[in-house]
Amino acid sequence: MIEEFKLPDVGEGVAEGELVEWHVEPGDTVTEDQVVAEVETDKALVEVPSPYNGTVKELLAEEGEVVPVGNVIITFEVPGEGDEEAAAGAADAEAEPAPDADAEPDEGEDETEAADTPDARVFAPPSVRRLARELGVDLAAVDGSGPGGRITEGDVRTSADTGDDAADEGGPAAVTFSGRSATSRGDAGDGETGEAVGESTPAGRSQTLAAPATRKLAQEEGVDIDDVPTDEEREGAAFVAPDDVRAYAEAQRAAQEADATAVTADAEASGDADSTGTATAAEPVEPAEAAEPVSVAGSEGDERVPYRGVRRAIGEQMQRSKYTAPHVSHHDTAVVDDLVALRAELKPHAEEQGVSLTYMPFVMAAVVKALKEFPVLNAVLDEEAEEIVYRKEYNLGVAVATDAGLMVPVVRDVDRKGAVELASDLGGLVERARDRDISRAEMQGSTFTLTNFGAIGGEYATPIINYPEVAILGLGAIEQRPVVEDGEVVARHTLPLSLSIDHRVVDGADAGQFTNRVIELLENPRLLLL
Amino acid sequence: MVVGDISTGTELLVIGAGPGGYVAAIRAAQKGIDTTLVERDAYGGTCLNHGCIPSKAYITATDLAHRAGHAEEMGIHADPVVDMAGLRDWKDGVVGQLTGGVEKLCKANGVNLVEGTARFDSPTKVRVAHGGEGQGSESIEFEHCIVATGSRPIEIPGFSYGDDPVLSSRDALALDSVPDRLVVVGAGYIGMELSTVFAKLGTDVTVVEMLDDVLPGYEDDVARVVRTRAEELGVEFHFGEGAAEWRDGNDGGIVVATETEDGETSEYDADKVLVAVGRAPVSDTLDLDAAGVETDDKGFIGTDDQCRTNVDSIFAVGDVAGEPMLAHVGSKEGIVAAEVVAGEPAALDYQACPAAVFTDPEIGTVGMTEAEAEEAGFDPVVGQMPFNASGRALTTGHANGFVRVVADEATGFVLGGQVVGPEASELVAELALAVEMGATLEDVAATVHTHPTLAEATMEACENALGQAIHTLNR
Repeated sequence: MIEEFKLPDVGEGVAEGELVEWHVEPGDTVTEDQVVAEVETDKALVEVPSPYNGTVKELLAEEGEVVPVGNVIITFEVPGEGDEEAAAGAADAEAEPAPDADAEPDEGEDETEAADTPDARVFAPPSVRRLARELGVDLAAVDGSGPGGRITEGDVRTSADTGDDAADEGGPAAVTFSGRSATSRGDAGDGETGEAVGESTPAGRSQTLAAPATRKLAQEEGVDIDDVPTDEEREGAAFVAPDDVRAYAEAQRAAQEADATAVTADAEASGDADSTGTATAAEPVEPAEAAEPVSVAGSEGDERVPYRGVRRAIGEQMQRSKYTAPHVSHHDTAVVDDLVALRAELKPHAEEQGVSLTYMPFVMAAVVKALKEFPVLNAVLDEEAEEIVYRKEYNLGVAVATDAGLMVPVVRDVDRKGAVELASDLGGLVERARDRDISRAEMQGSTFTLTNFGAIGGEYATPIINYPEVAILGLGAIEQRPVVEDGEVVARHTLPLSLSIDHRVVDGADAGQFTNRVIELLENPRLLLL
Repeated sequence: MVVGDISTGTELLVIGAGPGGYVAAIRAAQKGIDTTLVERDAYGGTCLNHGCIPSKAYITATDLAHRAGHAEEMGIHADPVVDMAGLRDWKDGVVGQLTGGVEKLCKANGVNLVEGTARFDSPTKVRVAHGGEGQGSESIEFEHCIVATGSRPIEIPGFSYGDDPVLSSRDALALDSVPDRLVVVGAGYIGMELSTVFAKLGTDVTVVEMLDDVLPGYEDDVARVVRTRAEELGVEFHFGEGAAEWRDGNDGGIVVATETEDGETSEYDADKVLVAVGRAPVSDTLDLDAAGVETDDKGFIGTDDQCRTNVDSIFAVGDVAGEPMLAHVGSKEGIVAAEVVAGEPAALDYQACPAAVFTDPEIGTVGMTEAEAEEAGFDPVVGQMPFNASGRALTTGHANGFVRVVADEATGFVLGGQVVGPEASELVAELALAVEMGATLEDVAATVHTHPTLAEATMEACENALGQAIHTLNR
């Protein structure tokens, strides 16, 4: 039978390798572990061993070609167990061996995704097996997302979309046979909007079909199965699969995440917003430097609380951001006596319009003015397209503490609004967030994030970027602090500023100049009128 | 070209109209393939005419009679009389209805039916000899061919099915009177099913088996339930004995002689001897050499997971393609072969292949036993529910046996199940679905089951495996 061999994961986090040299040609006989090719990654030159005893059938990559991990690079003709009836003979007619010698080829040792079950057994229902055959997907290489690792239709489609599995020769073109749509899964933050992919709006059905294990999963994730969005129907009723539950739970969490350090009761306060769902539900966060999980022995009397739900989602987002974007933090201080005076002067006028005026609108206005002059801080990195996307909208995320957890409403088009309008927008968003009346759309699409740890106290911090944005500005508390002026130490209202940047996109000089401009605008707030 | 020959062509030729062949032909015709089906005997093959269906008719009828006559504890007093000729007529009616249905279905789907015996002339042509004098023959050229010729009972030396007292399973299902004494050679599923039938009809049944227990291939505790019940019905077992010969006896009956490995001989008086030692493929009538199709030393045609033989355009399905020789496997293979011929990426990749034995009580099995799961590298967990703890089983008057489920402890995946007890052949379907779907113990345990039913036992067995059974003590 013919066995395909995919470029294995040749090193930590390496996604592709250059095929430097083939050591074999079609027709060559190879033994297991014989080196068939050399592949160079940005880390090393790696020898690729054959997982089979057999004959080389076809080379599917040219020397010098850059091949993504998982692409089929070579096929082998392997003397096959597949030539026999799948079911092994039994001693007598009534014995019933299940044909476990299934058609799935045993993956080589190097296949990092090979199903980790004994006996090369793959757990997938017949409809999924058929789909895999139609799409030319090798089930043994698919990671199942169902209970216990069961492979779903969505897993197969995802694998087909990303795996570049060569379809079987002679097989017909893929046919859509069930009329059911695959579990929809978006791509990772698309760089255009950085929006959460999972649908987080509750579907609010009265009846839902789902397997018992799926219902239990929903219970564990703390979501109502009737609220989980799905495109799939069975017998006219909505059918929810485990993937749908995970995607929805993830989207719910994504809509509630924020910097764990920023717990603020102040309406104007803004925690480090981590709201707009950067990781897709369908894609577990895998930091580049994933370490072995650490086991903690602890001691008697320790309290152990499960690390899951919102806490873990926040953790995963932070981890993703921290390990993906090289962070640099830049600290400075603005002397804001004039701003304090201006706000005191304008507050009553705002109140006449029914608006409570905080410092936040001034900070937002200053930040947007500076972003226009230093657009790289309002950019996102589209890793897939390998492009830096300069956003032309100025939408600022601001976190709010609510009973349901932290939420990050987004104030849109900040560059087109005055202080009173900003204050009013922000006030409305805060109220709706606290009443759980805020829509998903109102928590998406930020291009830059503000986090106000100063509401609790303190001066400086190193905020973590709301990935895939490239910068976040943390605000300390506005307090009177000693300032040196003309050789004298005087008490002045100061605002400590902490800016974190993604050094892949933004350089230190940009960060410093941007911060200087924000300081200038906050120290001379009348400039905001220009 | 022989004078008088007619030569026709077809896209797909199917040889044999049993559950493998007729299903393949219908599915191929549904796919728009010009299909011709050749059958030499009767539509429906062994299954409908001489196997599954007639044996089930006899099993049901004799069980009804036996239970009616043995239900005093329910307050029922009766002495039923079975009229064998009447029973046979009823069975023939059932068979006729089904075989007629197969023929109608084939025609309605546009399958061309040809009666006769096919032999290969070449890899692309068969000659079909029509039955009867002067019926002639015809040649049929094909693009693809599916061989589905099935199997026949194995004969053993000294016992020719041509001899009047020697019965094959097929002969036993066509008797018009009940033998007083019957020796059954072989305690496999056919021998055990028919022993039970005749025991319930009042025959003195003696079973001789070369191995040391009934139902080889089944776990001891499963086989034991069936053997114990058979002994209760009066069946006498002699293990470690092979049938050597038969001869006429002094009382108008016969004597069946057996021999152990050590050469010890025994003799049993009987009126008939039923030989049920397995089945052999019908591949010797086909001239497979002319087509270049290879068989193994037992005559089974080798196939891959698309039912393809070593000749690309020729497929084989059902008993002739080897174990497991089960009608439902033949049908599944027929569908796969037809779809492959239609250019679809079909393949035999089922995970669960249930099997049933229609003894008293029935056996239904699917997937792995605990030992097989261990051998395959799983860390199995087992849950069991005895039928004597099932309210519904007690109300049937038959509460022997149990439902057992085998699962992977790490993931909860159901790997297999063994059911022995009332309606086991039906109950195993749920476990088959569980195995095939990759369901977990929790999935089955959390599925609401109707009360009071036998099927609840499956739910309870899964609960038991999870250590949370209500009606049985957890292990």
